[in-house]
Amino acid sequence: MRGADMIVQVLADEGVDTVFGYSGGAILPTYDAIFSFNEQRAKSPGEQIKLIVPANEQGAGFMAAGYARASGKVGVFMVTSGPGATNTVTAIRDCMADSIPVVLITGQVATGAMGTDAFQEAPIVNIMGSCAKHVFLVTRPEELEATIRTAFEVARSGRPGPVVVDLPKDVQNWVGEYMGSGLLDIRGYRQRMESLRSAKLSDRKCKQFFEMLRKASRPIIYAGGGVVSGEASEELRSFARTFNIPVVSTLMGLGGMDTTDDLYMGMLGMHGAAHANYAVEDCDFVIAVGARFDDRVAAKAEFFAPNAEHVAHIDIDAAEIGKVKLVEWAHVGEAGKSLQQLTAWGSENGFEKDYSPWLAHCAKLKEQHAMNYDRNSDLIQPHYVIEALNKLTQGRAIISTGVGQHQMWAAQYFDFREPRLWLTSGSMGTMGFGLPAAIGAAFACPDKMVIDVDGDGSIRMNLGEMETVTTYGLPVKVLLLNNHGDGMVRQWQKLYFENRFSGSDKSLHRKDFVKAAQSDGFEFAVRVSDKTELEKVLKDFVEFQGPAFLEVEIDPEAGVYPMVGPGMSYKQMVTGEFIKSREAVGSQKGVLETSDAF
Amino acid sequence: MRHIISILVDNEFGVLSRVAGMFTARGYNIESLTVAPTDDPSLSRITLVTIGDDNRIEQIIKQLNKLLDVVKVMDMTDGPHIEREMMLIKVQAVGGEARDEIKRLTDIFRGRVLDVTDKIFTIEMTGTSEKLDAFLVAIGRGSILEVVRSGVIGIARGEKHLRV
Repeated sequence: MRGADMIVQVLADEGVDTVFGYSGGAILPTYDAIFSFNEQRAKSPGEQIKLIVPANEQGAGFMAAGYARASGKVGVFMVTSGPGATNTVTAIRDCMADSIPVVLITGQVATGAMGTDAFQEAPIVNIMGSCAKHVFLVTRPEELEATIRTAFEVARSGRPGPVVVDLPKDVQNWVGEYMGSGLLDIRGYRQRMESLRSAKLSDRKCKQFFEMLRKASRPIIYAGGGVVSGEASEELRSFARTFNIPVVSTLMGLGGMDTTDDLYMGMLGMHGAAHANYAVEDCDFVIAVGARFDDRVAAKAEFFAPNAEHVAHIDIDAAEIGKVKLVEWAHVGEAGKSLQQLTAWGSENGFEKDYSPWLAHCAKLKEQHAMNYDRNSDLIQPHYVIEALNKLTQGRAIISTGVGQHQMWAAQYFDFREPRLWLTSGSMGTMGFGLPAAIGAAFACPDKMVIDVDGDGSIRMNLGEMETVTTYGLPVKVLLLNNHGDGMVRQWQKLYFENRFSGSDKSLHRKDFVKAAQSDGFEFAVRVSDKTELEKVLKDFVEFQGPAFLEVEIDPEAGVYPMVGPGMSYKQMVTGEFIKSREAVGSQKGVLETSDAF
Repeated sequence: MRHIISILVDNEFGVLSRVAGMFTARGYNIESLTVAPTDDPSLSRITLVTIGDDNRIEQIIKQLNKLLDVVKVMDMTDGPHIEREMMLIKVQAVGGEARDEIKRLTDIFRGRVLDVTDKIFTIEMTGTSEKLDAFLVAIGRGSILEVVRSGVIGIARGEKHLRV
């Protein structure tokens, strides 16, 4: 069997049904192998591997990421050497930063030509080595099969992440025997994964945990992306309900807890809900699960949850324990299993504590500091658009986003009843993520509604993928909130740079997005600039079968609130004009003090 | 504080660059680095000297443990250990008195003169980094022509050992 055919066979064995990618010289043999593979299965299209071609390799990366985020399976993309591979660097780093399991196969010039500055040669092992969870370069063709298989193992095990396999062209053309099984010997890693899988909370650790919980009167669960990627949503919900502990979620954790649940306090952090941040400010025991106290949550670790007597931390990555915040109780292991053990231990040992005063306090926070915006404005407020759309989707649709203000409004105003409905570039903050991620999600979950909520700046970054939506006839909905500028950048320039809108003013940009969508073949391509029309058009937009594009002209001055400035504590949160703050914070106008944290 | 970290790694393509790359990416410094295969040819041992407080060293070890090719990591400085560094040094040795003095110093520091010309001594010296530093001071900047140091290697005292 040819090496290229082996690659495709391993993909099939791993259950891959979709490969995103762009062809080119050094990967041609493997593209040809996919063609042959599918040709042999012409009579059973269900067994074929769909090959989805983006406009740009970065698009393929985010499609694979969207596929992985929405399904929980490993996303696969395949590109050629040199520029093909370097175009995917952003997507690989994005997957690393958000712990998303993907496998990228890059063609490479033939082993003999490597290091000669050959045509379309780039040092992918070096470049990706700094961005990916791991990079394999296959130089011994007899290890090809095992390497591809091991790439999947590494991508999905432990803290998931992106794995790159760099494949010289001669390795793809090599002919050998297909073994059908076998992995590379990665003893150190495999041993560590084994001990992670078998990590159990000892009786003593459980006891310590419940002693802290007993002493606490205001506990809170701080749930992060690890709950979603670790499939621990059920266990989290059951743990929270069993002991009546309120939950705040990070941006990456949205949907881990049902956002309509009474115990749910909202998203915390820089643009978190005021009630969520106040609850963190007031709590006396933080239980962090699959979260990492990142700077958008805890700008200054010592100010985070300043009244917490204890912090407990469960994470699959030992390096996250104590990295930012020193904790009294920590457990390195799978989130779901750990929570399940704690729930079981607490129930078996009859743990009971009445937190009703705290729950009442939280309920009051939610009522008094509810999310709000200028409801009487004549201009369309972006929050209003999301709120109205959320009424139609009921927290059941997959939402992807770009990065910036629209991303935060979507995070704040959409409901997520389940995990894996919220696809956003959290840690890297990559503009242009939303559209290709939505395409990937549409392939992963054909039975779910997929909406890309995008901004005019973000969507431009991968606008070429509009055509990909129509090429494959995907029922992806694109909602563009157009404020004619880089809104989040402008917001910071207003706050910290005295309204000097350097590089963020797009008023001279001429693009007619509706015409652009039409030219890409969108039959539903509508623009709304009148508030009274919005609800009806949104309904048509949601009900339309097939690719749908909706541009909404929003208030260009709308801001994202609340906001905790960089390097500040939740105490200094600015809630804006429409959300009630707890106390008058320092100066809300003019230039705020910023720290050197950013 | 100065730490000597020993790392057993799979003897694979690119492993050194991965380890070094992790240090660069996360802003950790490397004071010295040595690497060579062990008695088991599938394994190499990297010895790395770095400086940092307890938190930083803990992070370094945890981050090293995330690298796929890393089999085992040990902080030698955690317990009693032996450290050695080798230095080859070329010094100017002209005139009977100077030559005698250099030979005497070399003996005091338990070094060996490996090569001699009428103007130059080439000396081998093994010991802790501190001892090598002291020898350089004793010889004096003025007469040193060339210095090459191996970087530190270390091994735990007693029964503790680093093996797969």
